[in-house]
Amino acid sequence: MEKVCVIGAGSTKYGKLEDSITDIALQASVDAIESAGIEPKEIGAGYISNVFGIADKQVHLGPLIMSNLGIPEAPSLSIESACGSGSVSFREAYANVAAGFYDAVLATGVEKVTHTGTEWTTTYFSYCSDFFYEGGAGASFPGLFASMARAYLAEFKASEEDLALVAVKNHDNGLLNPKAHLRKKITVDDVLQSPVVASPLKLYDCCPFSDGASAVIICNEKFAKDHSKNYIEVIGSGRGGSPAALQGRERITTIPSTKIAAQAAYKMAGITPKDIDFAEVHDCFTIAELVDIEDLGFFEKGRAVEAVRQGRTRLNGDIPINPSGGLKSKGHPIGATGIGQIVEVFDQLTGKAAERTVKDAKIGLTHNFGATGASCAVHIFTSV
Amino acid sequence: MQAAPSTYSQVYKLLAKDEFINNAKLGKVLARKCSKCGHLHLVTTYFCQNCGNKAFENAIIEGKGAVVTYTIITVPPEGYEKYVPYAWVVMKLDNANLRISGFMGGIKSPADLPLGTKAKITGYDERGIIIEKL
Repeated sequence: MEKVCVIGAGSTKYGKLEDSITDIALQASVDAIESAGIEPKEIGAGYISNVFGIADKQVHLGPLIMSNLGIPEAPSLSIESACGSGSVSFREAYANVAAGFYDAVLATGVEKVTHTGTEWTTTYFSYCSDFFYEGGAGASFPGLFASMARAYLAEFKASEEDLALVAVKNHDNGLLNPKAHLRKKITVDDVLQSPVVASPLKLYDCCPFSDGASAVIICNEKFAKDHSKNYIEVIGSGRGGSPAALQGRERITTIPSTKIAAQAAYKMAGITPKDIDFAEVHDCFTIAELVDIEDLGFFEKGRAVEAVRQGRTRLNGDIPINPSGGLKSKGHPIGATGIGQIVEVFDQLTGKAAERTVKDAKIGLTHNFGATGASCAVHIFTSV
Repeated sequence: MQAAPSTYSQVYKLLAKDEFINNAKLGKVLARKCSKCGHLHLVTTYFCQNCGNKAFENAIIEGKGAVVTYTIITVPPEGYEKYVPYAWVVMKLDNANLRISGFMGGIKSPADLPLGTKAKITGYDERGIIIEKL
């Protein structure tokens, strides 16, 4: 297998965007191409992740993006894997470069849904569940994670205040990120007093519905050395699955796919969780971040709450989690999120993260899943 | 020699959502019990998740159990506005290593439904599987 590197990264702002889905995808793609210092004609293929293109009357985005980059002959793949689409797409791009099919490829993730309103998005997002048992019995996505939260709080004697601490921390980080959707300092009381969406989760426990696009240029080591001095290398890549419905899982307070993906990625990288300097994890809801950082091996099961109370996951803690602000504050354009996490790792490890730089970081991890963790991908990167 | 039935026709017989729904209306859960290892699955599975075997026998289980977790929905998906607030619950069935989830009306606050509350399936309609407190 070829060594695989990321030599360019770009993102639009996340939030409510006016431009069309195709335009925002192109803006991020052009950013990534310019960041890499390459020409579009050097791109061998495109990997385009998106879930609800239908909301902006455009699916099959791959060929549109390649055509508008002036490379209509380049093959593309349009990928949907719910909220985990971006990282799954990155994995496909990674695998194709590692296998030697292409020297360099583009991976772009995009979503445009905010113009449809809360009812449309709540309804359509519920189609990502095992609909017969979950969405089709009135479960919204906040409701599914709220069910995980209630089980977690009961099993580990944690409180709703503990969940709120995750939101407060991620908003503090997002304040330092000019591209974040919700740039607003919040307090534990703000979270506790926000309207209940699906008990025990309140509005400020939930990430927003966002529009946005993120893109990266992935290439083999020779291409990277020929084009750039400031790039990162992919040292671990793992994927995993879980029973699609929550009822299919023996334990509701852990996500099996995260463990499987993380173990594969750590094994490939030849490292352990202790070697990770920071991580971008899938915090679609506050409860998810607690479950994630345990399943990723940063803390023992049930001990994440204590770590969060002690500030260990803050930007200046010993394992900063979501320096970008995470899905909670940076935003969650679902097709783009997994790529956006990699953009953050690229910025962190190449000295572009400005005020939110994690001190002395050499190794970063991304963790992104679809639905309630039915599908998951974990990637590990190092500076070179 | 008689031709073996196609894989598709064997699988097709497993597509028993209607039968599952009819059982739910009677307060029962139609499950699939692996004929090789005995592992229980809900009716929508095609292969045993434990041993990979494809042959199952029906197991009709009493739809009674205890609530293992739930949420109370206040911002509903389309079609559920008139039921708010309601609960979506996961219930562990008594006497079987199997959980099932569904809709529970009339739940306004966590005080209405402590974890472990005994509950039963009482029907199936446009809200999905209906679960009520015993």
